[in-house]
Amino acid sequence: MDSLEQAAAGRPGEGLVPAPWRIAARREEIADGSVFTWSVRPEAGEVPIYRPGQFNMLYAFGVGEVPISISGDGAASGTLMHTLRAVGRVTRAMQNLKEGDAIGVRGPFGTAWPLETARGRDLILVAGGIGLAPLRPVMCHAMRNPEAFRRVFLLIGCRDPQSELFRDDVIAWSRRPHLQVEVTVDRGGPAWRGHVGVVTKRVQRADFDPSDAVAFLCGPEPMMRFAVLALQQRGVSDDRIFVSMERNMQCGIGTCGHCQWGRYLMCRDGPVLRYDEIADIFDVREL
Amino acid sequence: MDLADQLAHHAFCADMAPPVRERLVACAREERFEPGAFLLRQNAPAATFYLILDGQVEIKIAGTAVGHAPLETLGKDDAVGWSWFLPPHRWHFDAVARATTHVLAFDADCLRQAMQADSAVGYAITRGLLEVVVQRLQAARMQLSDLYGQP
Repeated sequence: MDSLEQAAAGRPGEGLVPAPWRIAARREEIADGSVFTWSVRPEAGEVPIYRPGQFNMLYAFGVGEVPISISGDGAASGTLMHTLRAVGRVTRAMQNLKEGDAIGVRGPFGTAWPLETARGRDLILVAGGIGLAPLRPVMCHAMRNPEAFRRVFLLIGCRDPQSELFRDDVIAWSRRPHLQVEVTVDRGGPAWRGHVGVVTKRVQRADFDPSDAVAFLCGPEPMMRFAVLALQQRGVSDDRIFVSMERNMQCGIGTCGHCQWGRYLMCRDGPVLRYDEIADIFDVREL
Repeated sequence: MDLADQLAHHAFCADMAPPVRERLVACAREERFEPGAFLLRQNAPAATFYLILDGQVEIKIAGTAVGHAPLETLGKDDAVGWSWFLPPHRWHFDAVARATTHVLAFDADCLRQAMQADSAVGYAITRGLLEVVVQRLQAARMQLSDLYGQP
């Protein structure tokens, strides 16, 4: 049954009507407030079950709707986390919403990080900028289940020390012996004591076993392209590399076609895709 | 581990033939830099080539608006300095140890003579340096493009 048939088989508008949720908490990730994390709670019912890597459609009433990755859950408090960057009309409007304000939520949608494929292996997470948000639930899973993966390498690239996301989490993750966390910045000030340089360099140097490793990548596409090359040079096979691609998701259920990328509808077939299945279109411009 | 073993295990020498590595060993010595010690000083004569065994080194440029800001950090398996290879043989940047850093230090005169005398040595070192330069150039271009600032 394709997605159109699925939509037709359900109630009219199923999957397309946002449910009312409220912002339970709001935290600024960057001092200027341009990146912020919401914990959101449904007005009625349970928090839906999601898989790491999936996204929700968040609706600012009267303004518009945007696809935002789920960056974590607060199962105890019945909330989901979303980390947003104010870059367009809708997300700028969302930047002005406060705790207690209502939003609309549809989802979760899309494919997830294949945690089972990585089970028992070295897991390499390469995150660029806000690309850390969809990978955060994987790290939370690794924290809760230290036996799930042999070792986890979280390699984070960001513009400068001020734009490092989830700083408290990163510190907590760094303290776990089975989690190796490396942060590198493009521009480090005199006080920065971490790495300066591109995140692909960390891929080249990380001490994982390429013959038995799985990699999840999320960040700007040029960064992912270079990270794939670095992983290939280390000997990680294409079918063990997974990327999260961002396109103009709108309906979320594979019917409207706005997020078409070659043969894929990204809201349904993505955002997480296996690299060997998209290698032929990964670097096609204007696709 | 002796000098030859350390050289054989360093990424810079991974593809080098044993006779080439032997020529390099003849120019090498071990050195240790404490945090804050300079490996290279901007505009000073470039007389040494370094391969980092462990530790961390930052490449810096002096006199910028942001102070003595690091341009890049280097660590185990990285090479430091290529200005010894081409005239005027002066360092263009500073390189400072951030942590206790162990290196293999190569006398630049000795290296240049070995490269002149044996084209296999000359090719191997030139190729290794070119790889380092290309990687650093690609990294610099990526850093300049402000990837993470894009929506």
